[in-house]
Amino acid sequence: MPPSIHPVDLVATLRQRNLTPAIIFLTSRRACDEAMQSFERSQVTLPKAQQEQIARVLTQVTEQFPSIAEHPLIETVQRIGVAAHHAGHLPSWKIAVEELMRTGSLDAVFATTTLAAGVDFPARTVVVTQSSIRKARDFTDLTASEIQQLAGRAGRRGKDLVGFAVITPSPYIDLTVLTKGLTGQPEAIHSQFVITYPMVLNLLKAHPREQIQSILAKSFAQFQLNQRTAVLETKLDSLRAEMEPFGPRVCSDWITQWQVFEQARKRKKPRSPFARQESPDVAARLHFLTPGRVVGVTRGRGIILRQYRSKGQHAPMVTLLREGGSLNECPASIVTQVFDRTFDCEETSAYPWCTPQTLEQLTHHLTDLPPRLPILPILAHQHEETPIDSSIIQTLGDFACPTCPSRQACQRDFPRASRVRQEIQRHIKSIQALQTSLWHRFQERIDVLEKFGYLNATAQLTADGEWARLIRIDHSLLITELIRAEAFGAIDPPLLAAIMASIAHDDDRPGSFPRGSTGLVTLLFQVRKLAESLTPHEAPPMLRADVAALTERWVSDQTLTWIGLARLTTMAEGDMFRLFARTIEFLSQLKTLKATHPSLAESADHAIAAMRRGVLEELP
Amino acid sequence: MNTPELERLLMQQPVSLLHRLARGRISRHFRSGKRKLVDLLLQASAENRPGLESDLQTLIDERAQRPQPAPLEKTRPAQARSRQAVPATPRPHRHDDHGHHEPPVSLHEWLSGIGVPPPQPFVPDAWQVEALAKLAETDVVVSVPTGSGKTYVAIEATARAMRENRTVIYTSPLKALSNTKFTEFSRVFGPGQVGILTGDRREHSQAPLLIMTTEILRNLLYDAAGGEIDVRLDTLGLVIMDESQYLADPERGVVWEETLIFCPSQARLLLLSASIGNPQDIADWLTAIRPTPCSLIRHTKRSVPLRAGYLHPNEKLTPLFRTAGIPYGQPHLLHPEAKRLFMEYEEETGPSRSR
Repeated sequence: MPPSIHPVDLVATLRQRNLTPAIIFLTSRRACDEAMQSFERSQVTLPKAQQEQIARVLTQVTEQFPSIAEHPLIETVQRIGVAAHHAGHLPSWKIAVEELMRTGSLDAVFATTTLAAGVDFPARTVVVTQSSIRKARDFTDLTASEIQQLAGRAGRRGKDLVGFAVITPSPYIDLTVLTKGLTGQPEAIHSQFVITYPMVLNLLKAHPREQIQSILAKSFAQFQLNQRTAVLETKLDSLRAEMEPFGPRVCSDWITQWQVFEQARKRKKPRSPFARQESPDVAARLHFLTPGRVVGVTRGRGIILRQYRSKGQHAPMVTLLREGGSLNECPASIVTQVFDRTFDCEETSAYPWCTPQTLEQLTHHLTDLPPRLPILPILAHQHEETPIDSSIIQTLGDFACPTCPSRQACQRDFPRASRVRQEIQRHIKSIQALQTSLWHRFQERIDVLEKFGYLNATAQLTADGEWARLIRIDHSLLITELIRAEAFGAIDPPLLAAIMASIAHDDDRPGSFPRGSTGLVTLLFQVRKLAESLTPHEAPPMLRADVAALTERWVSDQTLTWIGLARLTTMAEGDMFRLFARTIEFLSQLKTLKATHPSLAESADHAIAAMRRGVLEELP
Repeated sequence: MNTPELERLLMQQPVSLLHRLARGRISRHFRSGKRKLVDLLLQASAENRPGLESDLQTLIDERAQRPQPAPLEKTRPAQARSRQAVPATPRPHRHDDHGHHEPPVSLHEWLSGIGVPPPQPFVPDAWQVEALAKLAETDVVVSVPTGSGKTYVAIEATARAMRENRTVIYTSPLKALSNTKFTEFSRVFGPGQVGILTGDRREHSQAPLLIMTTEILRNLLYDAAGGEIDVRLDTLGLVIMDESQYLADPERGVVWEETLIFCPSQARLLLLSASIGNPQDIADWLTAIRPTPCSLIRHTKRSVPLRAGYLHPNEKLTPLFRTAGIPYGQPHLLHPEAKRLFMEYEEETGPSRSR
């Protein structure tokens, strides 16, 4: 089985089932174009009447947009009644296809799922071949809203009794995503409010700084933050209710009081690093259990060979030479009597802890010992407690807690009360953060603009700020900084257009392009350096040299036709159109600086005039 | 008893007995299967074999003393009797949950009804009438499925505002859509009545209906706030924002917010949006920030019913769901044929979902 149905078969099936006209959403522009190519080889042709209808509609559209007449796909579209519609096409061609669909002249249109929003024409059937789309270099599952937007094109009002959404599998499909999307609720939308430099400048132009916060409070962002705040506030209320039984007692802030008291009390008992669990008499004896000492144990007597501490518990241990010559490792507490008799003992560092000669001698001595031996008197004095730090005693003295009547209640409630109080404080903090986050972000922007000199210390627009507020496009900071750095001093229109194009273009589709002039390369290098230095304050644009070169060529060479330009690059016509349209938009912003930067505005005006020719003149 | 004998004996025992035996001997014995369990038991009791053997013997004896479970033939009538005793509570059945005892829709049925409706005089839908009525008094947010006829509301509202000599601004997110609407509205209202504003071009910029992208309107509003006088904004009676779900666009959503915040208060707002999850939020927000309240017109029913199908790569077409229409809220109601074919597809194309 093929991984997916062949486009020609797909359209044939739809035709046979009377499911045309249809919009077929494919993964990529290339998939759309390949689908069209596969039709070029097919033998299917439309009935004469339909072909004529297509021709009629196309002639109508061509009157408005002459560039369509040269479109290479016209013949195929007329013959087979199928077209492609994606962002790689010129807007005029897309309008032609939309018009053909609206008049019902086409049987199928291949479109990309990515630009489903731009597909603003209905059909009887919509075919979906994938469940995920590429967003920012990554594949993401389609959301329910997106799937319903796709499926929503099915069924034309007044022309269809029912609409059909047909799923056909391709290697990029997860059926569950699609069935859930078709049957599910569309997702809630969330504010994407960001504070831009032009926004700050324009707001401060019209309003004093004190009013800004109330304006920001009107945003949908703040509305949704308030919704979150409301949730937190109900939680806070319930926490406060939980806190009620822990109100003021003998002291008004008993929780803090108890907390400090607890801390002081804990500090009173310093943890000794080496807590020994030996009884006082054992501890006292330890000093006398030296090698060679004769001791009495429960049964019989022995001579100590060494004293040590056990590895695990650090319990005092002794190695004992018993009567009969056996060597025992035993706890020091086994010793019941310490006699006033020692022998010489030549110690060694390993078993049996003394020289063999000593061992032999000692064994002899042990058997020769008289039955009664004088006992060494050892005074076992009680273990003295370390004195409490006087400072702590003093602090403890300040507390009424030990004698307070509510001491028991405090002790019982403290863990819960302190936890609830912490929660309350956490909630209050998050609520404050939610309420002031926009304003903080705004202030951050003010600080940056002040640093660069667009605002003065009282957040009023400086002379530079006055004109900079007119630049209301992406990367406005870079553009205004370029103007202030006089990078555009007496710049040629082609060069200006080229730089603006490289700032405006935000697509990373690769392509081959003509070379730029040396002047452009040098200037672009400087722009890159400046953009890099602005990175902490504004994300730098891509500044592609290739699109800049393409724009430079288009503006400088007035004899160059659109087709001629398209031959210089592998960029799709639609992308070229969008690049130029966006560049014109950026240039027209520079044109508004007529009052302060007349030569720049004039240059921008010339650039726009030079760019608007051929295809670019067709649409307003 | 030697090891192989013990092992054989253990293997003969039911697994529940082995688990009882393993209690206290092996940690987490419930995780292992019978074979593994026997091995573990033998290992664990290597030191204390007699203990294991005696415990095993006790358990076996205990089991022998318990009454033998009656053979299956005898229990069945008993179960049947108990079932008869409580007839009021039938056992829940999978299909009962779905509420679909009826057979899945056939392809023929699914395909039936294709065609062109007979031409009939245009009658606006109830929601369209309601939206227009509400717009006379309040701002309106419309959230309806794609293709429901939002444009009709826009046109009627524009016509009404134009009759009152008010300016109308219509914004769309894409330049391409602006162009389409320009053509469409020029056809409806006459070419001189409709203007279009782009970054640097203005056609009929003093016309009563102006079409522009939302960015252009935002800039106009900023200029007005900065002190520039714009007659068009003074006479502004209606602002129509198409595709308002762009409010959530990561890059451009902020422009929609700015525009709505600074939109002159004397102008009515008409927000046209595709189906979104929280249109009430938007209506509530606008009510909160604007002097006029904002109504929400929302419906989820499509004007042309939708059916979903599945087309197999071998050109076999089946309905996607058991029902002819879309079973909202019940994505599991797949048509058995579609399910089978898709499983087949997945098996044959291998790990298709790993990109």
